[in-house]
Amino acid sequence: MDLERFRERFGDKVKIDKNILTLADKKDLIRVVKFVSKYFDVLYMLIVVHRPPKFELNYIFSRYQDQEIIQIKVEISDKENIASISNIFKSAEWEEREAYDMFGIVFRDHPDLRRILLPEDWPGHPMRKDFVVTEEIKHWTGLDLKF
Amino acid sequence: MKVDDAVPNEFSYPGLGEIFITNTRKFINKVLSWGRANSLWPLTFGTSCCAIEMMVYGATKVDADRLGNLFIGDSPRQADMIFVSGTITKKMARRLLTVYQQMPAPKYVVAVGACNISGGLFWDSYNVIDGIDRIMPVDVYIPGCPPRPEQFLDAVKVLQKLINENKTRGGVYGPREI
Repeated sequence: MDLERFRERFGDKVKIDKNILTLADKKDLIRVVKFVSKYFDVLYMLIVVHRPPKFELNYIFSRYQDQEIIQIKVEISDKENIASISNIFKSAEWEEREAYDMFGIVFRDHPDLRRILLPEDWPGHPMRKDFVVTEEIKHWTGLDLKF
Repeated sequence: MKVDDAVPNEFSYPGLGEIFITNTRKFINKVLSWGRANSLWPLTFGTSCCAIEMMVYGATKVDADRLGNLFIGDSPRQADMIFVSGTITKKMARRLLTVYQQMPAPKYVVAVGACNISGGLFWDSYNVIDGIDRIMPVDVYIPGCPPRPEQFLDAVKVLQKLINENKTRGGVYGPREI
């Protein structure tokens, strides 16, 4: 199993529990993901959980040969930014755009960090815990209409 | 367009005034609305499950063609009415409005399904337009989630009646009259 290699390579920088790797420091993310990309060839998904005042980012990787799954967990403060992994896994580009759209996480060195689901001029980031759906937001159309 | 200048109030030919009991203006309006009511070419704007029912309405069992409601060209330039069938998100609202503005002037809007009437299931969502009458004038509403294909038939009948009585909202130009 690859997990032993992780333990040899990174020591106590990662905490390994079954197939979940928890990173102690977000600066190690790029190094760990580069190592992961040697053995795993697809990024399944990026799951973000907002536990105020922290964001929990879960990168889930897999490979085609035996459907092995590995999960990398990073915690950042909700005011910090984090490095983009889109130059290692190309499909992370849209996943990170969605995370930016819904949570407002800024990914450094992302080639094209725009909103992906909501309109460009939409106010706020709706999946944050402190976001409240007010009447104003409910009736917002972004259109200047008179009829 | 001001048609008042182009069409005189009375025909100058003698005798024709006796044939038409009503005056020409009324007569032409009647002919126009008869024509409009019986050749409603819809523009299909399907974004979710209501569109499936709209397809059934266009198919052979509930035959739309016998009302002159021909599903022919899916181009806004040739359409007389629009079936807005499906949830309209805030991003989609702009596209819908662009399509609506491309349609030629006597245009009618049919709001299909609960999402288009009031937001429906997504009434307190942050990203769904709660009722498309917030962004465009709607003539006929079809309730249901999704509505039956027969309800489309009924809606078109109602729309034809409204056109014949000149009671449609007729888009941004107001009721269409010569």
